[in-house]
Amino acid sequence: MKNLMIKDLHVSAEDKEIIKGIDLEIEEGSSHVLMGPNGNGKSTLLAAIMGDPRFTVTQGSITYDGKDILSMPVNERSIAGIFLGMQYPQEIPGVTNSDFLRAAMNVRRERPVSLFEFIKSMDKAIADMRLSEDLAHRFLNEGFSGGEKKRNEIIQMEMLKPSLAMLDEIDSGLDVDAIKLVADAINRIREESNMSLIIVSHYERFLEYVRPEFTHVLVDGKIVVSGGRDLYEKVDSEGYDWIYKEYGIEPRFEAKNNERVSIGTCAVKDTLKGDMF
Amino acid sequence: MKIAESMTLTPERGFQEYEIDCTEAELQLDLKEDCELFVRITKASALKIKARLNEGIRASVLFWNDSKDPLVANESYEVGDYGDLTVAYGECNDASTKRKTDILLKGKESRAMLSSASLVNTNKEYRMDLENSGVRSIGNIRNYAVVLKNGKLMIDAIGKINKGAKKAQSHQTSRALAFEEGQNATILPELLIDENDVQASHAMSIGKVNESHLYYMMSRGLDMKQCTMLISEGYLLPITDYISDEKLRSALKDELERKIEGSCLM
Repeated sequence: MKNLMIKDLHVSAEDKEIIKGIDLEIEEGSSHVLMGPNGNGKSTLLAAIMGDPRFTVTQGSITYDGKDILSMPVNERSIAGIFLGMQYPQEIPGVTNSDFLRAAMNVRRERPVSLFEFIKSMDKAIADMRLSEDLAHRFLNEGFSGGEKKRNEIIQMEMLKPSLAMLDEIDSGLDVDAIKLVADAINRIREESNMSLIIVSHYERFLEYVRPEFTHVLVDGKIVVSGGRDLYEKVDSEGYDWIYKEYGIEPRFEAKNNERVSIGTCAVKDTLKGDMF
Repeated sequence: MKIAESMTLTPERGFQEYEIDCTEAELQLDLKEDCELFVRITKASALKIKARLNEGIRASVLFWNDSKDPLVANESYEVGDYGDLTVAYGECNDASTKRKTDILLKGKESRAMLSSASLVNTNKEYRMDLENSGVRSIGNIRNYAVVLKNGKLMIDAIGKINKGAKKAQSHQTSRALAFEEGQNATILPELLIDENDVQASHAMSIGKVNESHLYYMMSRGLDMKQCTMLISEGYLLPITDYISDEKLRSALKDELERKIEGSCLM
């Protein structure tokens, strides 16, 4: 069974601990949603599984299909079947979508994909996402709108056929129709294959379409509560406050209060005053 | 057609192919018809080119350096009223090049594109002067280079707008991918402007492959070398777009791809 096993995972970025001990098992073919307030570790968890160089695993283990993936470079994790649909896909000028995807398909095949087969499947994936045909020849995500980038992530997922797909806020930047398209594509792939799924999402509508079986709520780098569909429904209608109360925890809020930096300036002024008088 | 040591060329209309295969060549180019020229330099150590583009003529020249010997080139071009000139260089050979290119946009509404693609594993040194004198003239410089371990690239690109060249434009973009620590690539973009009513811009980047780009591409299964190759191809292959002949263009693309694949990109 291609299970993902995460044990006692601790992850830091620039010496700041973000994930503070997570245990999670994703069974082959199961579907999960990670919830929780922003800035509490959901994206970091997915990035650490993929191997994002901005993050360092300081403790714990992650195995997939019995293999220690923390010892693998990012590309080998992908070849092992792990896919991350990113929240902010990179724009790479000069590299066309089709050259990129063809190379990415070929690294996981014994024989390179024929040009005919490639064009056929790429055209289909592009049509499924209702994007224009010239997407294949455009540079990778360059000049794409937010929604086009997200749909391009799904095109890549369709063509690379991962066994574990992680989708980080794939629904943000998508309009109502596109959310349905993306959800349909995910559901279709899951019907055709035994693809496991971890999604990070805030939108009830998206979750209603995809209907993940398991819910995990991350607060301050830890999974504080896990449950079934009823849990995301409850979070959706009531928010997180009841969780904070019930489990006696406090969320970590993103440091967006830049104004407070001015405290430093005040302190300097105070010091000056002190010197003067 | 082979080019002899010293000659005056007046290309006919359409696509023409030339080969320069002599130690010293002095070439006078009279561009009187719309044309597209492909010039393969198989051997030349000293090359002098003087060209004039007549009024309203549209011409492009791609110099493809295949020489095994070091090349020193001195080229000057003059563009008349409404003329549209493209001068492009494919510099992916193993011998050094020292080139000086002067383009004068003399006529009103004249245009020029000066473009290079270099896979650098030896010394490549370009000095480019693109000067606007004509009203509403437009000058563009584009340099793309992949600098390998033993390569050294130096580009001095000067866009100059003379007094009186009202509404003229001078733009340049230079990008170099370098794989070594330290400076083995130097690009000096300069804009000298002596007129108020103009538009000018320059963009420049030198460095290793962006780490976030690398992570994104690797997350789809490509290893470092494959990522670097794709990005390098993205830098260099567009130079072949100046050739409209499909057979030649794809042959040049294959040639470049082979060279990129064969070079040590790490």
